Amino acid sequence: MSDKNTIVFDHVEKTYQKNTVIRDLNLTIPAGQRLILLGPSGCGKSTTLRMIAGLEEITGGELRMGGRRVNEVPSGKRDIAMVFQNYALYPHMTVRENITYALRVHKLDRAELETRLHSVLEILGLEPYVQRKPRELSGGQRQRVALARALVKQSRYLLLDEPLSNLDAQLRVQARKELVKIHDLYQQTFVYVTHDQVEAMTVGQRVALMNQGVLQMVDTPYRVYNRPANIFTAKFIGSPSTNILDADWADGVLHVQGQQIRLPDCWSWLAERSGEHELCLGIRPEHIRLQAGRAENGLTGTLRYVEDYGNKRGIYVDVGGTEVVCMCDRVPCAPGETVSFQLDSDHLHLFSRTTTNSLGYPDEVTESDDTQWDSREELLSYGTSA
Amino acid sequence: MSNPFSAGAAALDARGRLRPRTRSGRLTPYLLLAPATVLFAVFMFYPLLYTLYLSFFDWNMTRPTKEFVGFENYISVFTDPNFGKIMGNTALYILLLLLFDFAAPYVFSFILSFVVQKGKNFYKSSIFLPSVISLVVGTMIFVWLLNPISGPVSAIAKALGLTVPIWSNTQGLVIVVLSIITSWKIFGYNFIVVMAGVSSVPLEVVEAARLDNIPTWRIFLNIVVPMSSSTGIYVLILSIVTGMQQIFTPINMVTKGGPDNASTNLIYAVYDQAFGFFKTGTASAYAILMMLLFGFLLFLEFKFVEKSVYYEN
Amino acid sequence: MKTKPAVSVSRASLWHIPLAFLVAMALVPVLFALLYSFKSLQSIYGDAGLFTSGFTLDNYRDIARQLPIVQITLNTLTVAVLVTACKLLTSILAAYAFVFTSFRGKTVLYFLLISTIFIPFTVTMIPNYITVSKLNLFDSVLGIVLPQLADATGIFLLRQTMRSIPKSLIEIAELDGISRMRTLRDIILPICRPSIVATGIIFFINSWNEYVWPTLILRSKENYTLSLAMQLFSSSEAGTEFTTVMAMAVISMLIPVVLYLIFQRYIMSTFASSGIKG
Repeated sequence: MSDKNTIVFDHVEKTYQKNTVIRDLNLTIPAGQRLILLGPSGCGKSTTLRMIAGLEEITGGELRMGGRRVNEVPSGKRDIAMVFQNYALYPHMTVRENITYALRVHKLDRAELETRLHSVLEILGLEPYVQRKPRELSGGQRQRVALARALVKQSRYLLLDEPLSNLDAQLRVQARKELVKIHDLYQQTFVYVTHDQVEAMTVGQRVALMNQGVLQMVDTPYRVYNRPANIFTAKFIGSPSTNILDADWADGVLHVQGQQIRLPDCWSWLAERSGEHELCLGIRPEHIRLQAGRAENGLTGTLRYVEDYGNKRGIYVDVGGTEVVCMCDRVPCAPGETVSFQLDSDHLHLFSRTTTNSLGYPDEVTESDDTQWDSREELLSYGTSA
Repeated sequence: MSNPFSAGAAALDARGRLRPRTRSGRLTPYLLLAPATVLFAVFMFYPLLYTLYLSFFDWNMTRPTKEFVGFENYISVFTDPNFGKIMGNTALYILLLLLFDFAAPYVFSFILSFVVQKGKNFYKSSIFLPSVISLVVGTMIFVWLLNPISGPVSAIAKALGLTVPIWSNTQGLVIVVLSIITSWKIFGYNFIVVMAGVSSVPLEVVEAARLDNIPTWRIFLNIVVPMSSSTGIYVLILSIVTGMQQIFTPINMVTKGGPDNASTNLIYAVYDQAFGFFKTGTASAYAILMMLLFGFLLFLEFKFVEKSVYYEN
Repeated sequence: MKTKPAVSVSRASLWHIPLAFLVAMALVPVLFALLYSFKSLQSIYGDAGLFTSGFTLDNYRDIARQLPIVQITLNTLTVAVLVTACKLLTSILAAYAFVFTSFRGKTVLYFLLISTIFIPFTVTMIPNYITVSKLNLFDSVLGIVLPQLADATGIFLLRQTMRSIPKSLIEIAELDGISRMRTLRDIILPICRPSIVATGIIFFINSWNEYVWPTLILRSKENYTLSLAMQLFSSSEAGTEFTTVMAMAVISMLIPVVLYLIFQRYIMSTFASSGIKG
């Protein structure tokens, strides 16, 4: 697709009185892509979406859609369809009236209207409900009506604000598969806000992670998980969240909680090159292999507590006063006993403690994804991959 | 909660509003508000100020010139031998209105919300019914019901060997009966409004208190009243403001303020001075006194509600 | 709404006694008027007294003979319809502006308009009387209607309802390029219909029952409203026309009571639920 349906945030800012909610946002959403805006509540993701929709005024920078500055373009002229978290169905209109209302106001050709209506009704399986009012529908059906109303417009951009958060867990899994299929069908530029990382990973082609109004990282779900650009990303993505341990780099050795660890050569070189001494070591719970007793060149601690998840066990280990969570298949020893683990070169993250940014990854650490990693700068840049 | 003054702050949150879409859109709110604002200005605010102005003049509504008399009208109001009576009666009316149209509805709405469980809708709709009926009609019916010679109340009293006094001629009693007639009309409305506040108190809170064996009257006073106090204050003030105005009807129809000014009050004094004696100056002075009283209530409302008395919402 | 009793059932049921007393206080006067409007005065003064069982329409015929009652009813209706329509219109526009637009001085203006609830009638009475006299509108429908075309209670109630409309509904319309007028017509008004109806009924009933202001403005019997016609009987000879007065009372309250019985649910819920979540 051409870039005519591309959305570009160029140094965009949003302030309410003295309160800045979006800081210097630079983000490109290529035409036809499914981009997820992810982040904790209050991070500015919804505001970002609403700026695209034209429902929030942009107080600084420029927003371009299809190459054109749209800061001053009213919502109704942006060719956008949107699905709200509460669905925003008109309570006094039937499903049919809800879906066709905007088309009727804009006097769309009758035959065309019917074609579009029946096509969305079919895709979403809503035919049996056309004459019902929203209050006579289940949550899942309402969500689909809201989606149908957005799709029937055949607009260039589709915005979704937490569209699945009011559904129960099972329905949500089904609905997100459906959403991906529908997007493949319509190929609109798709911006989707959620606070749920699983939803973000499964629906998104790219994920933009935000925190406190600042964009943290934009990349594919694979890279957001495996190559977190900073501590926030590492901690936010994945559950239980990544263990972050303060680590000092001195004399070619990593000092962690009073223990000394030699890093593999490629990592040592990376740490040395960064010129930083105060680092943070990140290890995902699922990448830790615990063993009873001490291990050579490993981190040692005391097993404190075990949570049983059925398929896995969550093991809490006290490493020099810091709690480290490990996901293991089996428990190596009883609580109170000594356990240890070695660092796995392929599943290691180093961050600068001062900037909280990643030091990057050594070339030797390969990615199974087809996109390749070069430098930290690129990780923080926007709109290049996918 | 049913309180127009408590709603303000939340409504005006900066994110809640929609932005004007176009330059011409900025005028839209003013155009939309113009009719109501102009009407209020002409028939509410201007008259208020004009009444204040008139209170400093001697005039009879027909003379071409008004004579400035300074505070003369106020002085004559305060030195009027009936002034004490008028104010005393006003206070008595307010006291009775608060009893009948504030305290009683409060207690009964609590009973209907948390104590009694059957017949809620029946009680609510029957009790509300009189508030749709004209007080003129109500007054006429009560006059006949309470007719000391041939009314049914006196017939029943006679059968029991009692006599019904000629209430409209009895000092004190006349105010009580006029207040009852007025309350017949406004009780139901106040009841429904205060009930909205009272029944919004979560049942769990009341049940928790029951589990702790708190007596019912304490649940009412220590839990329900504080938790519905915003609505409560609104209804308290409403019972005075509307009650004092409504009470004009039975006074004018039945007693004309008599006997010997025993049933007159501030509201009736304004009317009597203006359209009985055509003394607009004294009438206006009385009206301004009335307004000061209501203004004080308005101030209380703002003070309490803006401080968001209690925890509704 | 069903709630469980918070007090033991036996003691709780004692409260039905005072509640029944309240209901009796409310309804007995109405039933009394209805009953005696169909009885003749002679039969009441007869042996059976108040418990006479006669039925007659004479009282209603008497009224029709003494007064242009049809004309009077029509006058009342005209005033009530005009007042209701105008109050609704001004209230809807103002409520819309307060909820869906933003402008300087919104809070101040809102409180200013709402504070008119606290301006007693007597304070505005004299100047308004003079204004109506200057406009030569004495003894006319317009003279009654003019000062009451806007209403703070209406603005308050409709604003409450409009505020309860999810903002996203308005936003989706904005996104779909639907004009403000169209949004008001197609979305806001239909959603607010129950409270608009209820508010309208209240306006209608209050205007129908209006007494003080018409007393000041109206002069001739053919321009009277029902409240004034009713008052004629209060000044007439006591005792002699007891049943006629009751018939007049029935005529006056008939329409408000019927409207109330039909729209009860709307009216109750507008007063009750529009209040909650202020």
